[in-house]
Amino acid sequence: MEEDDDPEIGRYSDPPLLVLASLADGPKHGHAMIEDIARMSGTRLGPGTLYGAIASLERQKLIEPLPAEGRRYPYRLTPKGLRVLRAKLTTLHHFSRAGLRKLEAK
Amino acid sequence: MNKRLAHSLTGLYPRAWRARYGEEFQALLESHPNNVRALCDVVGRAIYERLFYVGGFNMNPDQRSLALMAYAWLAAVAAGANFYWTVADTPMATVMRSHSTLFALWTLIQVGALLAFAAVVIVGLPTFVTVARTALSARRWGVVGRLAAPLIAAVVTLLWMAAAAMWTGGHWVPTPWDVTGDWTAPPEWPPQMTRWTLSMVTFVLLVVGLIGSAVSVNQVIHRADVSVRRGLLTAPSLILAGSTSLMAAAVVAWGLFAERYASDAFHARNGGFFSSTNSASWAASCTVFVVSAVIAIRAARSAMSLPPEG
Repeated sequence: MEEDDDPEIGRYSDPPLLVLASLADGPKHGHAMIEDIARMSGTRLGPGTLYGAIASLERQKLIEPLPAEGRRYPYRLTPKGLRVLRAKLTTLHHFSRAGLRKLEAK
Repeated sequence: MNKRLAHSLTGLYPRAWRARYGEEFQALLESHPNNVRALCDVVGRAIYERLFYVGGFNMNPDQRSLALMAYAWLAAVAAGANFYWTVADTPMATVMRSHSTLFALWTLIQVGALLAFAAVVIVGLPTFVTVARTALSARRWGVVGRLAAPLIAAVVTLLWMAAAAMWTGGHWVPTPWDVTGDWTAPPEWPPQMTRWTLSMVTFVLLVVGLIGSAVSVNQVIHRADVSVRRGLLTAPSLILAGSTSLMAAAVVAWGLFAERYASDAFHARNGGFFSSTNSASWAASCTVFVVSAVIAIRAARSAMSLPPEG
């Protein structure tokens, strides 16, 4: 396989940020988050990793559970989570623009 | 994933974690495809939760500090054992005798190991005795069994190594550091495939023993609701943080000087873990020592956060 065709190249994996980003357009339960994150970033989080991120984000009060739907609990961003997500994505945006600009200048 | 497997996997997580996430996690597992990657992810995370985040739910700072001290020490033991056996009986040991810097760093690591052991004994021994006496008088055999788990793990590993050594006529002891490499094995040793297999068993016993010991310490702290005074905890936790940091720094420096003084011997395959190069084995020890130091610093911070005794 050519190095540039490697699907691992460019894959981004920061589980808590991926979970926050997945909840940006509305509440989701675990399975929906895994599918959404896979579509969005190409990274398919394992169930353990996903719930590690969910537990960590809930402890930091960045997400909160909604009433159960059967055995599943959808999660949504808290106002603090929304602010943190916006700040992190803005930083990443500036960072990636600056990096790409440097690459193009070469 | 079938319901039974999902239930068993969820059962690997700590009780407090299951109380909060168990039902929804099991529902997710049941709808998740059953593959090795998912199994490793779930089992790996369960170990992580048991080691680190049970405390996040309901451990007090003193209990958290105690648990973290135990993890830091166990990690330092693993890193130290790997480093010792990587160097012992190899040309690197000979090189060390002719280079005072390497020898001084080796001595510093030994001093760090003694200090770390002293710190763990100072806080661990009285806690162990108190918990053991209370558990025995209350006939809490679950706590007694968990207290004995590290000792049982060590005895089982040693018995295995002794039995395997006897089976090979006493010529070879199965350790991951004596499998193969760029040296010729003595003719009386068992064949290479046998050495790989027996050493792998030793390795699995060591890893299971270390993780099992860490989990059992955690569970004893929970079940016995262990409490340690700030006065007893602060100084040893600081000593452990200092000594593990000292060992981490000294091991890193040792490798850098070894590269400078004896590059060929450092990159040879004569002492490394599972026939890796000595330098790769050293790098693994460095990583685990740094992890140990970080955990020990967290333990000290947790001890310092306890309110002063009044």
